[in-house]
Amino acid sequence: MKRQVRIQNLGGARATILHRPHPTVQALTRQLVAIGLVVDQVWPELGPEALAADFIFFDADMGYDGQFPWAAAAAPMPMIALIGSEAPGRIEWSLQIGAHAQLLKPIGDNGTYSALLIARDGFDRQRALGAEIADLRRRLEERQTVVRAVAMLAAMGKTEAEAYAQLRQMAMAWRISFEDAALRVVARFATEGGDDQRSRG
Amino acid sequence: MKRRIEIGLLYSRNSSYSLISEACRSGALAAMAEVNADPGLDICFAAVERDPGGNADMYGPLCEDILRESSARHVVGCVTSWSRKEVIPSLEKLGGTLWYALPYEGFEASDHVVYTHACPNQHLLPLLDWALPAHGRRAYLTGSNYIWGWEMNRLARATIAAAGGEVLGERYLPIGAVDVGRIIAEIRATKPDFVLNSLVGASSYEFLRAYHALGLTDAHFRADRCPVLSCNLTECEFPPLGEAAEGLISAGPYFRGVAGWPGAGSFGSAHEAASYAAVRELARLLAHRPGAENLPLAQLLAGAGGPVDPGTHHTSLPVIIAQVRGGAFRVIQQRGVVAGDPFLSRGLRGSAQPLRVVS
Repeated sequence: MKRQVRIQNLGGARATILHRPHPTVQALTRQLVAIGLVVDQVWPELGPEALAADFIFFDADMGYDGQFPWAAAAAPMPMIALIGSEAPGRIEWSLQIGAHAQLLKPIGDNGTYSALLIARDGFDRQRALGAEIADLRRRLEERQTVVRAVAMLAAMGKTEAEAYAQLRQMAMAWRISFEDAALRVVARFATEGGDDQRSRG
Repeated sequence: MKRRIEIGLLYSRNSSYSLISEACRSGALAAMAEVNADPGLDICFAAVERDPGGNADMYGPLCEDILRESSARHVVGCVTSWSRKEVIPSLEKLGGTLWYALPYEGFEASDHVVYTHACPNQHLLPLLDWALPAHGRRAYLTGSNYIWGWEMNRLARATIAAAGGEVLGERYLPIGAVDVGRIIAEIRATKPDFVLNSLVGASSYEFLRAYHALGLTDAHFRADRCPVLSCNLTECEFPPLGEAAEGLISAGPYFRGVAGWPGAGSFGSAHEAASYAAVRELARLLAHRPGAENLPLAQLLAGAGGPVDPGTHHTSLPVIIAQVRGGAFRVIQQRGVVAGDPFLSRGLRGSAQPLRVVS
């Protein structure tokens, strides 16, 4: 699938620059304002208002874990590292803390727009993947429930294949996932059909 | 006694888009002549000219040549976006400023460029805003195979899709290429409501002549049913088009005879007008400020007022949609003066959002 970059909604977005006062901040601010963002600068720590930011730019050279009011790699918005020293340790720390994109210092005339779009795309994809993984994990955990539901339906005189097909049809009719349908079946048997439960030992 | 200030001129006089180069060049030279003749201004301009001959790879070195070999810090020039992007590294390296007087595809706000012609919120978006209700939402897109064509069509595609329309086809030609047969055949097969043409120079002329011929054999492809729209067509390209120009629709800040910007309406084309306006604005910024010619652009613009936004270096311009009727552009719609919004962060109609800067 061709991925479209969302472009037209940067106007009015908030960027917080976590960097000590420096020409880097001025050059970055100029670019961000030209693109249409609202900018503020803080140092040395992100305050509670950082949670309202749409983008965080952080100093990779002087940065440390305690500056961020969230766990490493768990920022609720895209993060862009401002890298001066390309020392492996600093790059490693930037990745640990959760950089989605980077800009090299000194910040000049350009680079910010692509950093914004790349960071946001990376953030969106990471979040979508995280949600997908959580869903798959949950479904994996419900495997036992599915087995129980199929066994319960089969105990009413169906073959295993028929019971499986019936469960799938229930899921479709109820417009819920296969696993959720299995949960519902198991719950129903638990309340209505004590005999079934007992007969299965 | 006037201060003599050298100004770079960087236009390809021999290229597939030389008509545009000539229009820009004559606008810039006319403004320089006016400044030089004006006893009220304490400056006179001397042109330092280089000609890249239409070779995109020559723009960077020749811009550098101007900045190294003369005292010029300001260069008026470049026609294609490709060439503009080629000179930006030279401008950064040597502290120069380019005054760029052509419509372009937006998404740029260089510290070293002043954009004195329209960007998409001043040409493409108003043009589509007018065209979709007026002609329909089924479009065919064509363009030259570089960033101008690509970005214009990407934005057109997104805008048309958002309006519930459909893009029936999209095809590109390299700059200078004239094999337009496939494009014409696809338009003929898909019968769109309009064609958006972002071809440049010789490719555009060949396409427009072939499309005009198609309209003579099939009434669907005439301007009243399926017009060709563009954001870069001006009067300066009428000569090679002849009859084929009839019915073409264009969006721009100026059409011949429209008074207001940047003068009484006597310019041959918007390209000429925008280059003229660039040099006049430069003169306004430099006059009576000895040494200002060596200031970085940000300092030159700071507090100077005028049409150039110090944040984006884009210009507030009239937005006009016009159609060629009887050999001249006739205004269809005047949409007032609109500030350039290169990153489309302010919406199509919306007034500029207040930007709060906290530092």
